[in-house]
Amino acid sequence: MMDLPPLALYIHVPWCVRKCPYCDFNSHGVGRDTELPETRYIDALLADLDQDHHAVQGREIVSIFIGGGTPSLLSASAYQRLLDGLRQRLIFARDIEITLEANPGTVEQTRFEGYRRSGINRLSIGVQSFAAGQLEALGRIHSGGEAKRAVRSAREAGFDNVNLDLMHGLPGQTLAAALGDIEQALALEPTHLSWYQLTLEPNTEFFSHPPPLPDEERLWDIQDAGHDLLESADFSRYEISAYARPGRQAHHNLNYWRFGDYLGIGAGAHGKLSSIDPAGRWRIERRWKTRQPEAYLRRMNDPRGFVAGGQTVERRALPLEFLMNALRLTDGVDVEDWENHTGQPLSELTPRLEAARRQGLLTTSPSRLQATPQGLLFLNDLLALFDEEA
Amino acid sequence: MADAASNEQLKFIRNFSIIAHIDHGKSTLADRIIQFCGGLTERELKEQVLDSMDLERERGITIKAQSVTLDYRAQDGNTYQLNFIDTPGHVDFSYEVSRSLYACEGALLVVDAAQGVEAQSVANCYTAIEQNLEVLPVLNKMDLPQADPDKVAHEIEEIIGLEAQDAVRVSAKSGLNIDLLLERLVRDIPPPKGDREGHLQALIIDSWFDNYQGVVSLVRLFDGTLKKGDKIQMKSTGRDWEVTDIGYFTPKQNSTGILRAGEVGFVIAGIKDIQGAPVGDTITHTKTKDVPRLPGFQKVKPQVYAGMFPVSSDDYEDFRDALEKLALNDASLDYVPENSDALGFGFRVGFLGTLHMEIVQERLEREYDIDLLTTAPTVNYEILMDNGELVTISNPSKLPDMANVSEMREPIVRATILVPQEYVGNVISECVNRRGVQLDMQVLGSQMQLVYELPMAEVVMDFFDRLKSISKGYASLDYSFERFDAAKLVRLDILINGDRVDALALIIHRDHAHSRGRILVDKMKELIPRQMFDVAVQATIGGHVVARSTVKALRKNVTAKCYGGDTTRKKKLLEKQKAGKKRMKQVGRVEIPQDAFLAVLKVNE
Repeated sequence: MMDLPPLALYIHVPWCVRKCPYCDFNSHGVGRDTELPETRYIDALLADLDQDHHAVQGREIVSIFIGGGTPSLLSASAYQRLLDGLRQRLIFARDIEITLEANPGTVEQTRFEGYRRSGINRLSIGVQSFAAGQLEALGRIHSGGEAKRAVRSAREAGFDNVNLDLMHGLPGQTLAAALGDIEQALALEPTHLSWYQLTLEPNTEFFSHPPPLPDEERLWDIQDAGHDLLESADFSRYEISAYARPGRQAHHNLNYWRFGDYLGIGAGAHGKLSSIDPAGRWRIERRWKTRQPEAYLRRMNDPRGFVAGGQTVERRALPLEFLMNALRLTDGVDVEDWENHTGQPLSELTPRLEAARRQGLLTTSPSRLQATPQGLLFLNDLLALFDEEA
Repeated sequence: MADAASNEQLKFIRNFSIIAHIDHGKSTLADRIIQFCGGLTERELKEQVLDSMDLERERGITIKAQSVTLDYRAQDGNTYQLNFIDTPGHVDFSYEVSRSLYACEGALLVVDAAQGVEAQSVANCYTAIEQNLEVLPVLNKMDLPQADPDKVAHEIEEIIGLEAQDAVRVSAKSGLNIDLLLERLVRDIPPPKGDREGHLQALIIDSWFDNYQGVVSLVRLFDGTLKKGDKIQMKSTGRDWEVTDIGYFTPKQNSTGILRAGEVGFVIAGIKDIQGAPVGDTITHTKTKDVPRLPGFQKVKPQVYAGMFPVSSDDYEDFRDALEKLALNDASLDYVPENSDALGFGFRVGFLGTLHMEIVQERLEREYDIDLLTTAPTVNYEILMDNGELVTISNPSKLPDMANVSEMREPIVRATILVPQEYVGNVISECVNRRGVQLDMQVLGSQMQLVYELPMAEVVMDFFDRLKSISKGYASLDYSFERFDAAKLVRLDILINGDRVDALALIIHRDHAHSRGRILVDKMKELIPRQMFDVAVQATIGGHVVARSTVKALRKNVTAKCYGGDTTRKKKLLEKQKAGKKRMKQVGRVEIPQDAFLAVLKVNE
């Protein structure tokens, strides 16, 4: 009998100081001076986990990611209590990665030290850009200088594993400006860089009032030159938008991309959980929690629990669901991962893999599911071949 | 009840149609008349009740004939039965108009008092006059400040030759003078003639297939009386049926159990196939089967042809079934299987015009949920071979080897265009561009009437839309087929990345081939979305490239940011992309959208 996939934990913190115009995450701007219901929220997160606990099935937790919103709005003592509570309920893997997302405008040295003491061992800092004009256009609440200070504080507080989120293709951005952002980021010596192109998502301010974005040729130049710059600084691209120093890939994200399982707790958090019944039949379920922070808190004493909805991933949807993640990795995944993480035989995929290989979008390696360089550039076209109705 | 006294009742019946240009207010007037006669309560009176197909209502046009029977209590104290038979108002459907008129003794010619007479109405009006109908001019839209009824009345007299000085002046919108109009209708339109005791002779004006009732036929009784339970015979097939339901529309279906000479209504007789009750057929009783057939209608011939192909080849069977069902209600629809190298299996479908084509495509997609690709429409060509054989083709890719062709002939139409004087220059140059030959030009009222001979191919494409746009919407058009004429025609092939795409081939006049080829490849460049690789579009004649353009490759197509746990966002994005490809067909490696197949229709945009 096959084993269940590795299990990670995602924790959502739904508040931020101010909602950014490009952001379509479940985040709610509350200003700088609002006192957040920290204690109640941590209680709710632990209760939420208790309700999902049956899905753990004896697995240890390989990684934890605390995302938002702006998780760094909550105090170190709040996270101390949260992580203590998690340790009582879950078995942490020996090398567990615990990441917290931080906004440079919300942290100071002492807070970072407290985060580190609580067991958080990786920070993901939302820098986005160092250019004052861009930060303003993006609605960020911090300056480039603050971002730099935040990274140095984090390091002094004992964080040796730091990711920076950096955007490109910003309104009116030149090639030089985009490369300047990368150079400043590299100077801070992070271990990981999420370098992604600004995309206008539905239900955002930018979507309804689009800013003037660089044209396709300039975007291409930025991507081309930026990629070379990062690679020359010994940052290897291992996913469409993720670059890491050797051995510093994000475990938590790798688990998503390899179609691992994850619990999702907190307002609007999504989880993906597999189970195998005694007859050996696999079931993969997605479930999500109540989105509105206040409504989420009220679910604490509600017999319905925190879950807002759920859905079993149908067998015919599995190829797309799996590959939409796996093929984002530049090395792809081992073909065995398909069977190990979906419970389905490879033959389910074969005809469509052949079609993708014929179009030069997938490598011909028999042991890997891996997009070619062309396939990575046209991943949407590649994935269309695996659409359930294709 | 069929006694002598019953024939007396004929004088209280009026059968009429309304002839009007599309937006001159026919439907609103019909609604108003129905409302005035109490055919529907206020609550039931949806806007424009007679246009019952969704598509008809959306496009504000009538496609099929419909009828409604109303009771009108006139000022003379008598109650009249008014049978109103609706007629389509678009040039594509003029055949249906003459059918509707056949059931009537009179027609209201409704003219917009602000806009004046338009060509289609003139043509329909002449049809009515030829069929000996009493035509009653009506000036509508009197509520508009720019209404100029005296001028328009004068125009009617000048263009149509109809006395119009005392034409009723109404506003269907406000209800002004509807009472007067109905009085005039009863006074001037003659009652039907007929013998209710005579042998049954009923003409099928229209038949349609209803999922619950089978074939429903709209009939006009000329002689005799028909009751529920009667045994009837179709003169064309000689088959016998039993009437299971009979009555009229109010516009609700109202089963009266009987129809008498002079009346218009529906008959249902358990017929499952529309061919069992063909339009134009005569119904009589089985016991009087020697009654002569009424002169029926000429079978309508399609004017334009296009290939229709399911986007997904899995839909072919469904598509064939859908066409069969659609043809049940549309005798003008003509189709044969077609196999395209580029598009796979589909059908070559004949239509009355391009509007008809659009409507059929929309109905197939909406009512039968099939995604279709339609090729550019083409007319029939006659090809005279060296061996004397005459071949008719409706598909450019089926053109025989030119080495053996002695002559190509194209259909010519006679087109009548009415247009205000200030736009005449525009219209003339448009006609010249389309190889038109002027036959006549004269001033009629405040308008000019231009008569041209034009190649049908030039007219059926986008001529009507083009006329509208160069005359601020005022020009109107009517046309009819005249003959086939020899012409210097060539086939323009389109190559996508070096491969000839049969479904994109066109037959075109040699003098236009280079310029149109250029415009066409440029238009296709706009319409074919950028893909993973460069796409070369070439126009060729006999293997020689006359124009080319390139759709530059996209740099990339990938979602930048991965959204961790919430996969629904990513899936939505991919679904959006998929929806964009819904109407695309993969030809070789290239995705070609529906719009590109119809690019030839859009070159003037």
